[in-house]
Amino acid sequence: MSGEDDRARFDRVVSSHLEDAFAFARWLAGNRTDAEDIFQEACLRAFRGIGSFSGGSARAWLLTIVRRSAYSWFEKNRLRAQVAIDDLSLGERALVEGGGDRDALKRATPETELIAKADAARLEAAIAALPLEFRETFVLRDIQGLEYREIAEVTAKPLGTVMSRLARARRRLIDTIGTEQR
Amino acid sequence: MTNAQGAATPIDEPLLLVHAYLDGELDPANSLAIAQQIAADPALGAEVEHIQALRHAVRERLPREPLPPRLRARIETVIGRRGPQVHPSWRALAASVVFAMALASGSTWVALRPVSGDRIAEAVVDSHVRALMAPQPTDVTSSERHTVKPWFNGRLPQSPQVVDLTKEGFPLVGGRVDVIETSPVATLVYGRRLHLISLSAMPSARRPQGLSVRRSIRGYNLVNWSEDGVDYWAASDLSAGELETFARLFRSALSGR
Repeated sequence: MSGEDDRARFDRVVSSHLEDAFAFARWLAGNRTDAEDIFQEACLRAFRGIGSFSGGSARAWLLTIVRRSAYSWFEKNRLRAQVAIDDLSLGERALVEGGGDRDALKRATPETELIAKADAARLEAAIAALPLEFRETFVLRDIQGLEYREIAEVTAKPLGTVMSRLARARRRLIDTIGTEQR
Repeated sequence: MTNAQGAATPIDEPLLLVHAYLDGELDPANSLAIAQQIAADPALGAEVEHIQALRHAVRERLPREPLPPRLRARIETVIGRRGPQVHPSWRALAASVVFAMALASGSTWVALRPVSGDRIAEAVVDSHVRALMAPQPTDVTSSERHTVKPWFNGRLPQSPQVVDLTKEGFPLVGGRVDVIETSPVATLVYGRRLHLISLSAMPSARRPQGLSVRRSIRGYNLVNWSEDGVDYWAASDLSAGELETFARLFRSALSGR
């Protein structure tokens, strides 16, 4: 029966990546409740679409579905404004783009120490505060360990965009975490 | 790799390449060039330190979380018993939740209880279902038996034997305390693909007894056996055959220690 085959296939292809899928949904959604809805929807889509999986990285395939599920969930349930933003501060622009003020980068030691000391809650809050595009790119790379080309596949963006988003995301986090808490 | 594609805004290329360099994404020639630039430019050197500190902190302090077993069960409920032709729906899930909640609530439990049924078997299935519906099916969540076993010390007069069946495909998920027939009982939780197995261990005066399989108490299978003064009950929605395999593996692991 084809139902059995699909089920077996789902178990084989998808099962070992469910943790990653849920973790990704949680970072995208920012909370567990929404993440569970997104995760469940993604699993359903993966199950229905299992016939279209044609080899390659099963993890990237599943994370792509998680991301699509998250985006359609956001469209249905959240204000659009929260989804697409690219609101770099002027300072960041100067720093990240166009070879800006490099002197600002020189005070390495205190920042590095602060980053090294940051606890889990601080890290999580800083990552959660990133705009969605930066956050997904950062999470896929530094938490889930995907390669650039896999991230490009999952986020449907060219490599150059992946690179610049990753650099900006990390720069923001370094700014946030590397500054004394007020 | 170069920053060839046209992003909307110009990007500081050396800085981008520093990230790619640290991520091991550059070819040898570019790696070498960037390494030299980093050595020559204190600002780039500082950024390297920052990025490394950030990556290290994230790796050390945001460990991977296991998938909550309850979610596993939820996915299983939605896709598990249906072919792809019938699209599982939220309504189906909602219905199954209502059904399971009805099972877990005391009043319907009495109503559903068969007159001549085995009360312990019923109670074990109830605990299993209740655990699937709870935020966590375990009170202690760990795949490490040296964490799970001591957790029961101090909570119960007798902590259960815990064996590692990961290699056999039944990873330990954790443990919890159930109340079966008014007595607190140690229950171990093992996984099998997306399925969970609740294994309750109750002190008992029964004589040792081999495996006995009960099929389908409200869709859950049970395997029961007794040895060394402990009555074991395994409940799961796994097939009776697989559950029996689990029980055999558990027993032989116990006797082999």
